[in-house]
Amino acid sequence: MSDVNGTYDVCIIGGGITGTALAYSLCKLGETSVAVFEKSYLSSGSTGRCGGGIRQQWSTKNNVRLAMRSVKLFENFEEDVGMDIEYYQGGYLMLSYDEEEAEQFEKNVEIQREEGLDVEILTPKQVSERYPYINTQDLIVATFCQTDGHANPHKAVIGYAQAAKRMGADIYTHTEVLGVDVENGKVVGIQTTRGYFKCNVVVNASGPWSRQVAELAGVELPTESYRHQIFVTEPLENFFPMMAISFAGNFYMRQAHHGQFIMGQGDKDEKPGINYNVTFKFEKELAEKMVGIFPFLKNLRIMRHWSGMYNMSPDAQPIIGQSDKVKGYFYAVGYSGHGFMVAPAVSEALSELIVFGKTLHTDVSYLNVDRFSNEDVEKEKNVV
Amino acid sequence: MGRLVEHPILNVKVSGAAEHMVFYFEDQPIFALPSDTIASALIASGIDIFGFTEHEHARGFFCAIGKCSSCLVEVDGVPNVRACITPVREGISVRRQIGRGKPKW
Amino acid sequence: MVNEGPTEKKHVKALVIGAGPAGLCGAIAIAESIGDGKQILVVDEGIVPGGQLPKQTHKFFGHEGFYASVRGFEIGEKLVSKATDLGVQFSMQTTVAGIYEDSIVTYDRNNNSVDEYTADYLLIATGASERFLVFRNNTLPGVYGAGAVQTLMNQYKVMPGESFLIVGAGNIGLIVAYQLLQAGANVKAIVEASSKIGGYMVHANKIMRLGVPIMLNHTIVSALGEERVQGAIVARVDEHFKPIPGTEKEFVVDTICLAVGLQPSVELVAQTGAEIKYISELGGYVPIRDENMKTTADNVYIAGDLSGIEEASTAMIEGYIAGYNIAQKITGQDLSEKISTMKDELIEFRKGPFASKVREGLKKMNILFPSGGYRERTQQSTGPNGKLRAVIECPQAIPCNPCETSCPTGAINVGKNINSIPYVDYDKCIGCGVCVMKCPGLAIFLLQEKEDYSIVGIPYEFLPIPENGTIVKLFDKDGRYVADGQIDKVSVNRKEKTHLVFLRVPKGMENIVRHFDLAINSEEYVCRCEEVSRQDVEKVIDSGITDYEEIRRILRIGMGPCGGKTCRNVVLQIIAEKTKIPISESKLGAFRPPVIPLPIDAIVKSRKGVDKDE
Repeated sequence: MSDVNGTYDVCIIGGGITGTALAYSLCKLGETSVAVFEKSYLSSGSTGRCGGGIRQQWSTKNNVRLAMRSVKLFENFEEDVGMDIEYYQGGYLMLSYDEEEAEQFEKNVEIQREEGLDVEILTPKQVSERYPYINTQDLIVATFCQTDGHANPHKAVIGYAQAAKRMGADIYTHTEVLGVDVENGKVVGIQTTRGYFKCNVVVNASGPWSRQVAELAGVELPTESYRHQIFVTEPLENFFPMMAISFAGNFYMRQAHHGQFIMGQGDKDEKPGINYNVTFKFEKELAEKMVGIFPFLKNLRIMRHWSGMYNMSPDAQPIIGQSDKVKGYFYAVGYSGHGFMVAPAVSEALSELIVFGKTLHTDVSYLNVDRFSNEDVEKEKNVV
Repeated sequence: MGRLVEHPILNVKVSGAAEHMVFYFEDQPIFALPSDTIASALIASGIDIFGFTEHEHARGFFCAIGKCSSCLVEVDGVPNVRACITPVREGISVRRQIGRGKPKW
Repeated sequence: MVNEGPTEKKHVKALVIGAGPAGLCGAIAIAESIGDGKQILVVDEGIVPGGQLPKQTHKFFGHEGFYASVRGFEIGEKLVSKATDLGVQFSMQTTVAGIYEDSIVTYDRNNNSVDEYTADYLLIATGASERFLVFRNNTLPGVYGAGAVQTLMNQYKVMPGESFLIVGAGNIGLIVAYQLLQAGANVKAIVEASSKIGGYMVHANKIMRLGVPIMLNHTIVSALGEERVQGAIVARVDEHFKPIPGTEKEFVVDTICLAVGLQPSVELVAQTGAEIKYISELGGYVPIRDENMKTTADNVYIAGDLSGIEEASTAMIEGYIAGYNIAQKITGQDLSEKISTMKDELIEFRKGPFASKVREGLKKMNILFPSGGYRERTQQSTGPNGKLRAVIECPQAIPCNPCETSCPTGAINVGKNINSIPYVDYDKCIGCGVCVMKCPGLAIFLLQEKEDYSIVGIPYEFLPIPENGTIVKLFDKDGRYVADGQIDKVSVNRKEKTHLVFLRVPKGMENIVRHFDLAINSEEYVCRCEEVSRQDVEKVIDSGITDYEEIRRILRIGMGPCGGKTCRNVVLQIIAEKTKIPISESKLGAFRPPVIPLPIDAIVKSRKGVDKDE
C-alpha cells in the first residue's frame, strides 16, 4: 500500500449532485473534514446528463415531503450556496392518457394537497386554453403544480462544490476509488488513483456505479443501471415555461433557459448495464410522438443527443442510509432517474445522519435498504 | 458585391433570363437563379445582413456549409433556416431573424 | 402513438462518407477491385461531389498519376466520372447525421428525409473544417471563412465584396487571394502572424508580383463597422503573437477572409468508437490508425485530411490504400501489390520539407516516413544570353514534376524523387513555353535578350487577354512598378486557360520583370473634374503636342470647377517625364480668375449693396 495521502472524517465517492451537495451539507454542519472523489469531472455521471426537472407531484406521502423539502432548498440555493443555477419554477404539467392512471392522479393530488402542495387538476379543454401550442387529443386529465420547475444540473454541482471548498472540503476530480478498506467491520480508509486516504466514513454517491462501488466494501445493494436517452433541439424564444411529463405517454419535455427543448422517454426493452451509446430508434420514436403532442416542434432541428444512466432500485425510489454490515459505510443511490431533484433534501438528511446519527428535517428512514426485506413495498408510480 | 460577369477560368455565363425566379426578402423582390441558395441570391443582390442576434448584433453568411448558425433567416414564418444551404424557391418570403426565432403552431 | 414496427435499414458493403479526393479514390479502389460499384455508396453534403475540388480553380501540384497541372475542379470531375463509370452510387446534399448504436443515419436536405443504413465497411473521409479566429467584431457580416468565400465565388459565382483583407498566409490564404484577384476583386493585403509564409513560395510569388503585400508578424485586431465590415485594424505581433500597441494600421476593406488553418472533422469517426488522439502536427484531434488507414474500430477506415491535414495528392493516395484494404477484405483476393505501390507513392510525396509536420505527427502513431534524398539547391545559371529559354523560379522542394514530364525535349530534370528542385539543361531547352503553361505554381518564365530590348514570357490567367503592341506597366516579383513595356505577342491557350504573354521589357530587366498591368485596367485620373486619365495625356503628348496650354484645350484639363488646382502640376510632371524638359523650362500657362467658382447670386447681391451705398 502506498503512503497515506491524507486523512478525512468523511470520504464521498462520486462528484455528482449527491456527493457535492453532501459535502456542502456536512460543511454547513461544521463537519469540514470532507473529501469528494470523482473519477472523471464534476457532474460527468448521471447529474450532468439528466433533464434537470424538479417536481413535488409524487404518489406517496414520504416522497412528496422529501421533494417539498428539496424545493425549499432549491428556492434558497442562490442565497445559501451562492450560485445562479437557472432555477425556474415554471411548474410541472402532468398529462395522463390512461383511464386508470387518471384515477390515480386524482388520488395523488389528494395526498399532495394533504401535504400542503398547491396542485391543480385540469381538463383537456383547460389545458388547450392555457397552452394553445399543445395538442390535447386523447388527453384525459392533467395536473399542474406551479412551484415545480427546473434548474441547470451542471451549475448546481459546481455551486455545491465551490461552496464546500470555500468551507474547507477537498474535491479530487479525475481520481478513481479503487478500494475501500474495512477493518473489524468498520471503514478505515480508501485506496484511490491518488493514493491512500484514511477516513471514518465512506459515502457511496456513485450513481450508475453504485453496486460496484458497494462491492468494494463488501456491501450489497440491489441496484441496476439502465440507459436513458435525451435529445435537445435548437432554440426558440422562451414561451414554454413548464416541464410537460406523462407516464402513460412515456415522455417529458421542457424548454431550457437558453431556449432549446430538452426531452426524453423511457425504453422498457433496455437491458441493464452501463452504455453511453445512443440509438436512432430513440430519436425516431420520440420525435414522432412529440410532434403529435407539440406540433410546433416540427420546424425545429435536433442539436444533440446523449444518454445517461438511471440507477434503478427495485421500487423506483432511492436507497438512503447506513450499512448495518459495515460501520461507517453510507449510501445514497438507486435514485431511479430523479436524483437531481431530491438531492438537496437527501444530502441534508444524510449529513444529519452522519453528524448527529439522526435526521432533523426530513425522515428518510423509509428509504433504507432494509425495506426490500419487507414484503409490503410501497411502490412509487410517478416515474417515466 | 454581386455576380461574376466574366472569369478567366470559370464559365460564368447564365442561360436566358427565363430561368430567373423571384422571392421576397423583407417584402422586397429579389431575383435569383435556380442554382442559388438564399444566401447566394441575397449577396448577389448586395444584401449581407441576414439577421440580428438577441443582443442586437448583425449576423450574415459565414461558413457556407450549414455548420454554423450565423445565417439563420425566417422563411415563410419558420425560423432557424440556414440561408447558406437552403435552395431558393419561387415566391418564398424571407425575413431577417431577430434572436432565437418565434415558434409557429 | 408510436410506430413500433421495424424500420427498413438499407445495407451496403461499403459506405464512404465524404466525396472529396480521399473518399472518391477510396470508392474507385473498392469498386474496381470488387467489380461492383453498386455495393458502394458515397454520401456527401455538397451539391456536387468532389469535396473542396470543385471550388479550386488553380492547377494542382504532384505528378501526372495524381492529376498534377490539372485544375482542382477538373480533377473532381475526372474522379467523379471514373467512380460513376464503375457504378459507384452517390447520395449528394446528404449528411451522415450520426453513427448510432443501431444504425448509420443520413439526412437528405434536398428531400428533407432521413435514411438508415448498415454497412460492412466504413471509409470515413470527412476532411477538415476551418479554424476560427478571435478578434474584435469578428462576427460582423463581411467576416467570412476562406472556404465560404471560395464556395460563394467559385461555385455560386457570386462575389461577397470588392476589397479584401486576408488573414493567414498558408496555402489556402494564398490561393484564395489569387482566386479573388482572378475574379476581379481588390486584395489589399494578407496578414500572417508568424514570421514566415506558411504556404508554398510559388503561390506567394503569384500574388506578390500582382502587388498584394504579405505582412508577416501581423494579425488582425479588429473588424470595423456597425452592421457590416467597413474596415479592419491590423497590428504587428510580438514573439508570443500578441499585438504590439501602437503598431496598428487601418485598412478600408469590405470583406475579411479568414484562412487560419484546418482541423480534422473527427465527429463521425469518434462515434464509431475509434480511438482519437490530439496530435498538433496533424491538425488537432485525429483518429489513431495503422499504415493501412484502419482505425482502432472494427472495419472502420479513414483517409484524407481527417487523418491529418495535408493536401489533395496524399488524400487520393490514402483513399486508394484504404479502398484496396477494404476491397481485399470484401473479396478475399490479394491486393498487396497495389497497396504497396500506393504506399511507395506516399513515401515519395512525404519526403520533402513541407511534409515534416506530417512525418512528426505520424511518428507519434509509430508510422514512420523517411525524408530527404532530393535536390535542395536552386539552379544558379539562367542560361545563355540571347537564346529564348525557360527559367524556373521554384525555390522550395515541393513534390511536383509536371515541368519535367511536359517538356518535349527532355530539357528539364526533377528526377525520381519528385521533391527535387528542377534544373534546366539549356542545351536542350528550345524555349517552347510548354512548361510555362503547365507549371502549377506559375513559376516558369521565358527569357530572351534582343538587341534593343529583352523578351520576358510570363504565364497569365487573367482577363482581359491583352492585344499585341499594347503599352503596359511592368512590375517586379514584389509587385513594384519598374518600367513601362509592351505586349510583344500572346499565345492563347483556350483549353487550359493559362496563357503565355510575351513582354518587351527594357534591356537588363529580363530577370526583374515578372508581371504586367494593362493601363486601361486601372485608370489613373489626372483630372478628376473632367475625368481625364494619365493615358489620355500621354497619348496627346506622344502625338507631338507638348505645350500645357495646347493639351489643356484638347483634353479640357483645368477647365473644370477646380480651376486646374489638382491637375496642372500632374500634367506638367507628365510632360516633363515624357519630353525630358524640366518643368522650370516649360512655358508658364495662364492663371485665369476666378480661382474659385463664384456664386452668381453672391455677385448679384453685392451689386445691390453697391447700389444702396450709392
